[in-house]
Amino acid sequence: MAVAKSTEPTNKAEFLQRVREALGRKEPLLYPPDYPPLKSATIRQEEKIQTVLARNAARRPRLLERLAENAGAAGWNVHRVWNPEDTAQTVADIAKKAGAKNVVRSSEDVFKPMDLDGALRRARIKPIVLASSRSRPRADLTGIAFDADMGVTGVSYAIAETASCVITPRRGLARITSLAPPVYVAVVRAEQVIESLDDYFALVRLQYQRTRGRGVNYANFISGPSRTADIEQTLTIGVHGPGEVHLVLVS
Amino acid sequence: MKVLRRAGVDVTFPADQTCCGQVGYNGGFEQEAREVALHFMDVFDGDEPVVVPSGSCASMIKIFYLDLFADDPVLLERAQRLSERTHEFSDFLVNVLEVENVGAAFSGTVTYHDACHLLRELHISAEPRALIEGVSGAELAEMTDSDRCCGFGGLFSVKFPEVSAAILGEKLENIEASGAEVVVANDCGCLMHMRGALSRKGMRQRAMHIAELLASQSGLAVGQPERPEA
Amino acid sequence: MTLVKSSQFRKASAAAVRSPKIQIALDRVMDHFVEARAHALEEFPPESWEQMRERASAIKAQTLENLDYYLDLVDRNVQRNGGQVHFAADAAEANRIVVDIAKSVGAKQAIKSKSMVSEEMGLNQVLEREGIEPVETDLGEYIIQLAHETPFHIIAPAMHKSREEVSDLFHDWLKTAPTDDIRQLCMIARSALREKFATADIGITGANFVVAETGTVVLVTNEGNGRMTTSVPRVHVAISGIEKVIPAIEDVALFLRLLPRSATGQRITSYNSFISGPRAPSDEDGPEEFHLILVDNGRLNLLKDPEFREALKCIRCGACLNTCPVYRKVGGHAYGGVYSGPIGAVVTPMMAGIKDAKDLPHASTLCGSCRDVCPVKIDIPKLLLRLRQREVGGSASERSSTWTERLLMRRWRSTVLTRAALERSASLGRFLQGPITRRNRIRKLPVPVLGGWTKARDFPPLAPKSFATIWRDELAGDGRG
Repeated sequence: MAVAKSTEPTNKAEFLQRVREALGRKEPLLYPPDYPPLKSATIRQEEKIQTVLARNAARRPRLLERLAENAGAAGWNVHRVWNPEDTAQTVADIAKKAGAKNVVRSSEDVFKPMDLDGALRRARIKPIVLASSRSRPRADLTGIAFDADMGVTGVSYAIAETASCVITPRRGLARITSLAPPVYVAVVRAEQVIESLDDYFALVRLQYQRTRGRGVNYANFISGPSRTADIEQTLTIGVHGPGEVHLVLVS
Repeated sequence: MKVLRRAGVDVTFPADQTCCGQVGYNGGFEQEAREVALHFMDVFDGDEPVVVPSGSCASMIKIFYLDLFADDPVLLERAQRLSERTHEFSDFLVNVLEVENVGAAFSGTVTYHDACHLLRELHISAEPRALIEGVSGAELAEMTDSDRCCGFGGLFSVKFPEVSAAILGEKLENIEASGAEVVVANDCGCLMHMRGALSRKGMRQRAMHIAELLASQSGLAVGQPERPEA
Repeated sequence: MTLVKSSQFRKASAAAVRSPKIQIALDRVMDHFVEARAHALEEFPPESWEQMRERASAIKAQTLENLDYYLDLVDRNVQRNGGQVHFAADAAEANRIVVDIAKSVGAKQAIKSKSMVSEEMGLNQVLEREGIEPVETDLGEYIIQLAHETPFHIIAPAMHKSREEVSDLFHDWLKTAPTDDIRQLCMIARSALREKFATADIGITGANFVVAETGTVVLVTNEGNGRMTTSVPRVHVAISGIEKVIPAIEDVALFLRLLPRSATGQRITSYNSFISGPRAPSDEDGPEEFHLILVDNGRLNLLKDPEFREALKCIRCGACLNTCPVYRKVGGHAYGGVYSGPIGAVVTPMMAGIKDAKDLPHASTLCGSCRDVCPVKIDIPKLLLRLRQREVGGSASERSSTWTERLLMRRWRSTVLTRAALERSASLGRFLQGPITRRNRIRKLPVPVLGGWTKARDFPPLAPKSFATIWRDELAGDGRG
């Protein structure tokens, strides 16, 4: 039995009524369904997050080990930096080894205490901060990113379970910085490392509740290089996104 | 029968029995299947355990009768009682009689095919293997993907014979690769299917029901003429 | 709705079995998927994986029971985030909405990331007719777009294409030099598509999940084209079937553990995008407009039937395809619809009408392997059986069993209803089989329907005496006690 073809646009009320009727009801539900994950109030979520953060802080050294191990297995090149002052040089070395002539980066706080631009220039690599300004309108950013040899950003979190770097774009952090260039470097600070996917989504939920839903509209997990096996099930790395990814883990 | 009697069981064969009805049920013909199933329930009315040599028939009686009679409380109750007393052959030997060695002897390598309903509806897979290992002289060699369907599927084999034969072809390759001379299965449909292709292709392997293996006392290797089916 | 050719399954499946090309591709790919999945599952003790499946199944069931509530929640939250939600009753309406959005921004070119719903809709053909060039960016979809074919597998749409065929396609359409180097072929696609990423006006994606609590579309990808499609163009349109909804943001973790392992054996895919609306005004890049189109297109047929409702739990992992003995021999095209394999054999008849897809419920041995691997525990064999039952005794629009089948079944019933009837038939059978039995086998059964058996297999003749006879004459008396 084919679905009747509609000529008038369906409005939401009609559509939901049809769904309701398919479920054997005529009226909308009087109360939301009894589904605990949705019902837990902000206060509870805050408590939960206290526990999450405390557990993560307590387990940090092991988490860093686990992240490094899982990341290596997932195709990241992992660089442990024991002295924060060495971060800029580490990134510059990566750029040099990759043969990059120019590097785009975000203007995140993680870059403030270091002189990444200086380190790159010393290696004869041109640093570009991929952020809009009066002299550089947003429209130009795409072209610059597509032509760049390497992209560097900080992260919001790094999830040890899946070796995922969480990138949340905002002012000063363009999505394509971590996407368009063929090489990508994620700079991760130790305190940003969390244990599991559950921890991450619990944090997201709290943020959502605190901002009453005016939270973040985009987040992206990067868990390794871009890959495909669409031709003869043969793995090829680096199709549309970066084929070479580096995780700089600063303790 | 021989095996059960050797194990000390007083077995009878209700002569009016015909069919469990699965053919009709699987084809979607509930009405016809119900009639046949009712006849079965009448013939096997009583208290004694019912032993079923074929895995798919056993699962029909134990599990799908409950679906077939779901809308009739009286018949459903009868089906439930029957279900509780029904056992597939190897399940009966190992789990009810608690016997794994029936005194059989057979020299040769044996591989075992996990019939789909037996495995996935009745969850029986260790029992037949234990029985095979209890046969003096027999060596169990597992085949690759022993739990992959043989391609019979009842009417499927005649509705889509080319696909069915292709699936069977892969099963035969796995049997060949296992190095076994005999493939054992606890399902008459699978056996009929495998035997049909083994003989068509002139392959040397023999397909046996586990009861045939367990009835063997002569230690005779392959070459013995195939026993006719009842 | 794209034309469903599922009534051709018999012919198409026989042809597929005879095609060396298809068999080579299936041999290569199917075991790979099965082994990868098995390897990925080793990380969990079996009970844990079982619990995960059970929980996911329960979450989906609860969502479907209350789908009107959750769809409303999706709408309110996406709107709060600054996006727009559209409801489409069928494919035609969904297509119109996409075209209207594209035209409202003067789009000439649309880049697309994988969306099976859009295949159902036949969206690409509609866009082309309206003067908007659609470009598939998922490598497998790009290949089949160039080849003008439908997907061969839910996860690996171009798995049936050899590298030579891909090389020929690129040569014909992109004028690139032929090559048999797979990496080279990928790089050709990369360059061709990179250009499109930078210039496309509108990005169209599917959705792996739609989170009601936060109004978030979740995309699970590996290549990076999904991110490109949702980051560069000015407008992002996400199209989703209504069944993709999951209730809470914290539920995502569970589904992200189940989906990649079941689909490709990965712990997690390279990219997961969480899109809740257009970019914030202060963002450096991202789309200015975000649209989510929620599509019915026959899904309510499944929803309104309490037994079939569970088929809507499907998270499109493809695990059932990879384990199915039938799919493994015939591949996706034989099923004639967008969705193939076990899940396709259930949803296609339900969405397109049983009569148009009457072969599909029978294209199964009911082995149950699909049910074992399904991450949300859909009882596919039971649903196939129910469809078969409807073909026999369902409503007028469903009844489609043939006259021959019905006759055969009635014959069977009469034959096995009483012992006497069975023995009469057996006697007749013993008489008739004489001429066609040689050396205890029947090589050719000259009978309609059942004759198919003997094309590749011998048929056993009836034994000279039935067991019942042997029992009566010999065994009953002795051996007692």
